[in-house]
Amino acid sequence: MSAELAGGAARPRRQPWRNLMVFLAVVGPGIITANVDNDAGGITTYSLAGAQYGHALLWTLVPITIALVVVQEMSARMGVMTGKGLADLIRENYGVKVTFWIMVALLVADVGNTIAEFSGVAASIQIFGVPPWISVPITAVAVWILVLKGTYRQVEKVFLVACLFYVAYPVSAILAHPDWGTVLRATVTPSFQASGGYVAMLVGVVGTTIAPWMQFYLQSAVVEKGIKPEHYGHSRLDVIVGCIITDVVAFFIIAACAATVFKAGVRVETADQAAMALGPLAGKYASWLFAFGLFNASFFAATILPLATSYYICEAFGWESGIDRKWGEAKQFYSLYTLIVALGAAVVLIPHLPLLRIMLLSQVVNGMLLPFILIFMLLLINKEKLMGPHRNGPWFNGVAWLTTVVMIVLTAWLVVTGLRDLVTGA
Amino acid sequence: MPQKQASQEPRFLYLSELLGAKVRDAAGRPLGRVSDAVVATSETYPPVEAIVVRRGGERVQLPWTAIRARRAGQLEVDATAAQAFQPASAADRIRLVEEILDQQIVDVEGAKVVRVNDLHFLSVKGALRLVHVDVGFRGLVRRMGWERAVDGAVRLVRPQARYLEADQLLSWKLVQPLSSAPGKVRIDVAQRMLADLHPSDLAEIMEDLDRQQRTVLFDRLDVETAAEALEEASPEVTTQLLEGVSPEKAADILEEMAPDEAADVLAELPGETRRELLEAMERPEAHEVRQLLEYHPRSAGGLMTTDLVELRRDTTAAEALAEVRRRADELPILHEIFVTTGAGRLEGICTLKDLVSAEPADLVGKLMREVPATVVPEAELRDLAEAASKYNMVSVPVVDEAGELKGIVTVDDILSEVLGER
Repeated sequence: MSAELAGGAARPRRQPWRNLMVFLAVVGPGIITANVDNDAGGITTYSLAGAQYGHALLWTLVPITIALVVVQEMSARMGVMTGKGLADLIRENYGVKVTFWIMVALLVADVGNTIAEFSGVAASIQIFGVPPWISVPITAVAVWILVLKGTYRQVEKVFLVACLFYVAYPVSAILAHPDWGTVLRATVTPSFQASGGYVAMLVGVVGTTIAPWMQFYLQSAVVEKGIKPEHYGHSRLDVIVGCIITDVVAFFIIAACAATVFKAGVRVETADQAAMALGPLAGKYASWLFAFGLFNASFFAATILPLATSYYICEAFGWESGIDRKWGEAKQFYSLYTLIVALGAAVVLIPHLPLLRIMLLSQVVNGMLLPFILIFMLLLINKEKLMGPHRNGPWFNGVAWLTTVVMIVLTAWLVVTGLRDLVTGA
Repeated sequence: MPQKQASQEPRFLYLSELLGAKVRDAAGRPLGRVSDAVVATSETYPPVEAIVVRRGGERVQLPWTAIRARRAGQLEVDATAAQAFQPASAADRIRLVEEILDQQIVDVEGAKVVRVNDLHFLSVKGALRLVHVDVGFRGLVRRMGWERAVDGAVRLVRPQARYLEADQLLSWKLVQPLSSAPGKVRIDVAQRMLADLHPSDLAEIMEDLDRQQRTVLFDRLDVETAAEALEEASPEVTTQLLEGVSPEKAADILEEMAPDEAADVLAELPGETRRELLEAMERPEAHEVRQLLEYHPRSAGGLMTTDLVELRRDTTAAEALAEVRRRADELPILHEIFVTTGAGRLEGICTLKDLVSAEPADLVGKLMREVPATVVPEAELRDLAEAASKYNMVSVPVVDEAGELKGIVTVDDILSEVLGER
């Protein structure tokens, strides 16, 4: 009798939907993080890759997706199994000094990236005829209010909707009428050109994929969401789906630019120039969609980057943090957030500022930081005390270390050329 | 570190000042650098028992008693005293750097989770006792090795700055470390104070902790405190905590909880675990919970509790008050008593005020008034909220088609559901 009562009404009714419901409940961190990866900087890189080299770089998306999945999966797994953010773990295992310098570097890189996002907002909105001094302050205030007044659930929903708008890219790619057969063939056949420009672009495309802040953000988001170890399978799926969506978007950006700008031989240097160049070649709707996509991505990243930065800095130093708290409860968290948003927006509005060099600098700092973050992650995820049976297996470790080494070599290249450009002022 | 040790005692010392100090023997031969300190936790203010000295990759424990002289950044050790030392077993010992420094701890007095930036010792008669935990910003600055520079800079700009005095030191007594394995560390004071915290503070602390720490903390609570805290915690945390303790303890905790809360918790658990726990619970409690489990969790039936005072018409006011007094402790809200027939049909209610102002011999049947509103078990949150607010009811009775009283939904449960919806 007890069993029949206990099994009761709730269980059979829930069972068939349970899997889907759990997945939907767990979805978010992985998809959001991976999508933010396609921010103003990412879209610029992909647009230029398509505009300058046609289909020649499409094949890199396959290994890039694998690398992204490997690294992000580790972040999510550590978050779920330990219930702690990456900054927490680094502080607890490697002490305050290491943590402090990592946080300083992240802050510098992230402020630089936020500036890049706001200039993406300015450039994309300008295509619709609105000047930056209107679009940038309005965006900044909108971004600020969203996080300050929202709860985690609300903010996450806004983010998930922003992910949907990335569909602008596939649509504008379809409007550009590429030869899909050639595009698909180019995606699966690796090719290589010996020119310096091609190599630089290849490194750029790979380098824009895995940024240090993403690992911190993903892990914190997984923790804040409170995903349980038994639901980790769903969380992993969230990560994998997110990484694939991201690179599918990248694929359409490259394809759209390759089919139009590259084919017509137009010379472009920024993402908004690419968007404008699409107009006469693929129609004004394609052009507008492309610009809208850039705006969405920039807005989205301008929210998440400052948010992520505030999260892990507070985590590292033991200050209260979280969207669900009020200002008085998490002063440092909200002050940092406000500061980064304000700085990011203000710098874009200063006339005659060397914006490109600031962005270059932030990329260099990003690149210098990445090896440390990846190595720390690998060391932490192999700690028995932390991860128990969820440590990396030998095969996964092999792939992860290989990915790490390749990422380090490529970003080292980026840093060296970036530094050279910074010094020579190119 | 000051130069003249012995003459200035007692004095304070930070762990960060001790770490990295060069250790030498009496002949001046280097032995390595201090990398950790071991304290015995059996006392309220634990004494440092040994220091861990690292040389190359090797770590050696040296007894604190072997230290002959202490100067800025240097310790001199009596090698013969050191040799005789046998490091004690791990039980009741903590390594401060490994297990406390940089970790999260519970500040029992402030009812929050904080991060340890530094540890503060008092040096008395050659012994070093752990007295405070530094959780302040200045502790961070000190750890970075910038205390002097930053202090100087602050003094230059604003000599009255709060920063210079406001060390956030928590007494070790008020701290509950969580990094060690359960049972290994015993700090009675902090543990007793944990039980004194308000259940919602305790629940909030648990939400701030990671999974392992949460389980450690929860394991240390007595059944009653654990039940109170669980009632306040979020469903995710609750289920995870219950799955972390033994089924017997989980069943004890569930029995201690109000039946409606227990049912809510059980509804979140996987079917297998739920059955197991229900089997382990005492019969009457398990029966009530099972009945509640049959209702949709967000309906009146799912929200109601069966903890209420139910009396017959022919009870006197004095007997009723005695019954109220007897049960007051276990009931979350006690504002009305319910008058029912032998078959359990609800006939009327009496407020506490009615009972207190009546003559002791008055019969409840005479005192009772008509029930302003009842709801069916299937009723939704909106109906409940409306009934409670329209008729100023502290608890809304849930009655089935036959008019039988099934339970009550208390206003605090309605309120938290309404707020949860937002």
